[in-house]
Amino acid sequence: MISIQNKIWLLAAVVLFFMAAIWITFTFYNQRTQHQYNEILQRYLRLSEVTGAGQELITNLNNYLLHATPDHEERITQSQQRIRQAKHEMITLSHADNDFTLTNYVNLIDSLLEATNRSLMYYGEQEQVAYMEAFAEANRISKYLSDMSLTLIDTELRTSERLYRGIIDQSEELTRLGIWLLLLITLLLMMFAYWFSRSITKPVKQLTQAAHQLSYGRFDLQVQVDSNDEIAFLARMFDRMRRNINNLISEIKEKAELEKELQQNKILLQETQLLSLQSQINPHFLFNTLDTLSKKAYMEGSEETSDLLVNVANLLRYNLKRLDRKVTLFEEVNVLQQYIEIQKARFTERLQFQADVDESCLHVLVPGLTLQPIVENAVIHAVEPKEDGGIINFRVRRDEQVVKVEIRDNGPGMKEEQITQILEEETFQTEGHSTGIGISNVIKRLRLFYGIYDVVEIESSPNHGTTVTLNIPEPKGGDFVGQASNRR
Amino acid sequence: MQKAVVILLCLVCIILGYFTFVSAGKAFDTDWHLPDQSGEAETNYRLVLITLELDTPFWDMVGAGAKEQAKREEVSLEVWGSYGKDQDEFLRLIELAIYSKVDGIIVQGLDTEAFTNLTAIKAASYGIPIVTVVNDVPMNESLRRTYVGTDQYEAGKLIAMQLLQDMGIAGKVILMSDNYQEYFQEQRLNGILEVLQAYPEVQPVLAETPDTREQVIEVTRGLMNEVPDANAFIALNANVTGAMLQEIGRRSQIEPYYIYSFDDGADSLTLLQEGKIDGMIQQAPTDMGRLSVDLLVQWLTGETIPLDDKGYMTPVRLLRAEDAS
Repeated sequence: MISIQNKIWLLAAVVLFFMAAIWITFTFYNQRTQHQYNEILQRYLRLSEVTGAGQELITNLNNYLLHATPDHEERITQSQQRIRQAKHEMITLSHADNDFTLTNYVNLIDSLLEATNRSLMYYGEQEQVAYMEAFAEANRISKYLSDMSLTLIDTELRTSERLYRGIIDQSEELTRLGIWLLLLITLLLMMFAYWFSRSITKPVKQLTQAAHQLSYGRFDLQVQVDSNDEIAFLARMFDRMRRNINNLISEIKEKAELEKELQQNKILLQETQLLSLQSQINPHFLFNTLDTLSKKAYMEGSEETSDLLVNVANLLRYNLKRLDRKVTLFEEVNVLQQYIEIQKARFTERLQFQADVDESCLHVLVPGLTLQPIVENAVIHAVEPKEDGGIINFRVRRDEQVVKVEIRDNGPGMKEEQITQILEEETFQTEGHSTGIGISNVIKRLRLFYGIYDVVEIESSPNHGTTVTLNIPEPKGGDFVGQASNRR
Repeated sequence: MQKAVVILLCLVCIILGYFTFVSAGKAFDTDWHLPDQSGEAETNYRLVLITLELDTPFWDMVGAGAKEQAKREEVSLEVWGSYGKDQDEFLRLIELAIYSKVDGIIVQGLDTEAFTNLTAIKAASYGIPIVTVVNDVPMNESLRRTYVGTDQYEAGKLIAMQLLQDMGIAGKVILMSDNYQEYFQEQRLNGILEVLQAYPEVQPVLAETPDTREQVIEVTRGLMNEVPDANAFIALNANVTGAMLQEIGRRSQIEPYYIYSFDDGADSLTLLQEGKIDGMIQQAPTDMGRLSVDLLVQWLTGETIPLDDKGYMTPVRLLRAEDAS
């Protein structure tokens, strides 16, 4: 794993390396050039040194010849020493081109020294003409010396011309090299910096994208970052987090599923409890008794009572049998008729029941005991409380693909909140219902049976009665398979 | 797309790298060596050829011959000289050569006291052998080792004989020399006179002239007035030929005159080719240079001691205008 810090170090190192390499090269080059210049200058300086020394010697000699003091003599010795030294150095300057002249030059120095010595010697011997002549000679030689050093310098310039031009060319070349180098290094560094920044920003971008996806709730995409630095580490952690969240979510979903099943089990349990409660009365005993009562009433000549009892027995039998079974609308309507008969016996003229049934619609399947509780509800609320009774309209008709079952009363009606409460299945009052099944239960069962929420509509307003409409979908062609059948 | 960019960048990198590399190669690959030191300086003989007339065709050939021989003998030789017969500079150079303790001096003879002083006293005291070339000086004065060059006396004879052949055995001949009274002129003159002696009908007229152009012209003019019936001109010193011819040409036709000269002047050959001169003594300057170096080295190495003090003569022939053009 190369950390970002290491990458930065690497970049710095590369830049440093370039700079150091260039610096070293140029320093090296500079030093060499300097050395070369020094050497060249040295040569010229040595050449001029001889001339200077020669002239000094002549001056000192002249001084000595004028005033022969030990001091001046000492000076002459010094000058001679100096010129010998210079001569010695001169020999190192020789090369093929100036060899001849240089040898001449060195010999000239010798001649100068000889002439000086001769002059001194003659001076010592007090031979005036001779020493003056020798001095003049030395003077002339000194002049030749300075002339010849000019020649030598000239030769030096000529022979070294190629070298000097080389140096000039090279310094120009160096400028060009500088430009090339600048271009090359700029390009290289830019490329390197690009690569370097990319190696940092690309993973970050990938990570950002992954985070974006996560924020939109897509937990199934793997977080993938192709690098090997801290970002990659971050990405791995991020991916682990994603997987954990994913697992948690699926766990929660499972739990919810489980809870839902549990609730449905509870409902079923309640219904079972209800059924078992109902079963606590031995129905056969009840039916037999009712049959006996009916027959007895018939034999006592009370046919009406007998019929009534038969109706009650049928209704109860139906109730016990048909709960949670699918039945045809026809059967339901029959049961409804029997119930109305019973209620009419109770309310006589106060209950007016008007039925308008489209016979062709009666084949549709409905859950058992759906119409009777609704009508009973209407009886309880619209007929029972009123002195002069009430009218209940029952209508079955086809409306496009839907069979509409309409139960309308002219009772006191309901408020909006009540309707909502009923449709939301919040009320569980079952008081007064013969079957113990309230309207809420009916609505719930209808909804479960058809899987449609809008299967029941209630229209009502205070003092204008209530209309309950069931929208029962007509099965297309084949056998209608209600969900209730699957429940069994 | 990205691949193309990468390839392009790499290509640019390579190109830049190549140029940088080449440039660096040029900038750092230095050939900074001063000419090599030579250790042979001590063993080599150093000879100097000194002339009064540097950069004339004649002396160039002498120098070339000398250098050629020096190269063959592996001795160092330098050609020094003054221009236009600058005697002071010439003498100075000789003195310089002596003080520089060269191993041998080959010098154009100059028949003056200063020259004799230098060669006989100074050079002798430094032990430097002197060989005269082209122009000789008397041996016993100058103490030269030998002379290499034309036998001027013979050359004089040759030119005189040619004159007789062209002009016939009667006529007036003007012999023009410069006023330095140089040894080689004397020799030439002697040679000519030697031949002409036998022909009393031929009348030589000697004339001397200073060496500047104007003076030569003036003297020529005077001569032509004095000797209007001259038949021939002989320039004993080649350097006066040009000016002399100019004056003659200004006064009359050059054609009727027989004009002879030597080849050691700057314009001699040109004049001959133009047909202004009828005959010219052609010497062998290259041979002179070559032989002088050869002899000097022989002397220095001890091969031939002493050298023949009469001198070593190089071949001479007379070149006629017809041959040259």
